[in-house]
Amino acid sequence: MNVHDPDTIALYAAGQLTADEAAAVESHLTDCADCQDELAFWRELGAEINTSSAALPPPPDLAERALKQIHAPSPLQRAWRQSAALLRSQFVLVRREMWAAAAAFMVLVVIMALLSDHTGFLTGLAPMLAAATLAAIYGPQNDPASELALATPTSPWKILLARLSIVSAYNLVLSLAASLALLAIIPADLLGSIVLAWLGPLAFLSALALLLSLWIGTANAITICYAAWLLHYIQPSEIFGAWAPSLQVWDAFLTVYRQFWESPILLLGLSAAVVALALVSSNFPEQVINQRRA
Amino acid sequence: MAGTLKKTHPRQGAQESAAENMNDLQHDIALMQRIADKDESALQSLYAACGQRIYAYALRLTNDPALAEDVVQDTLVAIWRSAKKFRGDGRLIAWLLGIVHHTALKALRRKPALSLSPEMENTLPAHDPLPEETLEANEQTCLVRSALNQLSAEHRAVLELVFYQGMSLNEAAAVCNCPVGTVKSRLSYARKHLRGLLSRTEEI
Repeated sequence: MNVHDPDTIALYAAGQLTADEAAAVESHLTDCADCQDELAFWRELGAEINTSSAALPPPPDLAERALKQIHAPSPLQRAWRQSAALLRSQFVLVRREMWAAAAAFMVLVVIMALLSDHTGFLTGLAPMLAAATLAAIYGPQNDPASELALATPTSPWKILLARLSIVSAYNLVLSLAASLALLAIIPADLLGSIVLAWLGPLAFLSALALLLSLWIGTANAITICYAAWLLHYIQPSEIFGAWAPSLQVWDAFLTVYRQFWESPILLLGLSAAVVALALVSSNFPEQVINQRRA
Repeated sequence: MAGTLKKTHPRQGAQESAAENMNDLQHDIALMQRIADKDESALQSLYAACGQRIYAYALRLTNDPALAEDVVQDTLVAIWRSAKKFRGDGRLIAWLLGIVHHTALKALRRKPALSLSPEMENTLPAHDPLPEETLEANEQTCLVRSALNQLSAEHRAVLELVFYQGMSLNEAAAVCNCPVGTVKSRLSYARKHLRGLLSRTEEI
């Protein structure tokens, strides 16, 4: 160890030397002005560090704050809890008669399909039922608590999304149950194509009905959706066949239009876009004519 | 908790009876076991015993009281979650300060406005002491204080550990998670830097 070395003096000042080393440094210090100066510097620095560090009382409540943070649910847990609470609170606000009415209607559809041995009843009527239920989930016409809901801190789009999720899930369950009931008249391997036949239209009509109900009211939304859906059943050349050469363009349009309703992936994609538009527009009350019309 | 509270300097510590140190260590291990068993009062007594030193170290690293409070709070949460990892291989306070060190550097990185590189910090004008500080401390103390504040967090950490916290070089290396040689070179760098700054201001 070199006793005449600033780093050695630093270690000495910090009390990091063994007793023997410290004694050697001390005997060197008695006759080395440079090292005395060095030691004086370290003593001053050490004193400043010690006084400034000792002068600071720690905040008394930090242990409590840490325990609070420890007990706080994680962000994911909090999000789950909030979502569950929102779904529960909105579940009771959906018109109560809707649940029973939709179920009863679906039972009728299944009975008709079974009696007529025709699955078209389900694929045709399930989307219409879904559209009707979704057109009636939001706005002052349908929700006695809507004024209250608008005054709560939960943003309208979250309320709308919650109700949309609840009612759509219900519609899906009803339609799936009905499809299973149809297994009585169809082979099991056709179940998938039956589900696909109503899934796309159900999703798109539901989304469209929701969006239109926000903009132009429940009744108008249902009318437009039903017209759009029923249009693809119309065969003008069969109805007006005799004097129909000019209807060929119309016929060609309807062929494309029917293909549109038979493309589940396209319909599901469009539904997502329309739902997003509905959620956005629910945040701008001025644009939502329906809400101002009560 | 007496052992962790007492400022045992490494050399002075060697003079203390080995039996007493062993008792302190047993006490600390028992306390950490209680925290590992989710005993909230144990975390509170840990804070009552070591809070001052933990807070002082966090404040030395961050130079920002609000950030230091956050760091200590996060440190306590980390202690709560990893208390069972303390096996008594070294002093409890060194283990605790290691967590503070890690947490504080992470917090400084997250706040880019505060975590300047040493080069950038060196170019900053010295922190002007507040009027009341000037009144209570003499001019030379203020100079030392502002010179300290111009060091990087890593260099202030070594000075704080070796002086106020009474850590040996090995313990300081463990706290900073770096080799002992790095601790020594940081000490040496801090010395050169501070001496340079202080002699320059003395000349002016």
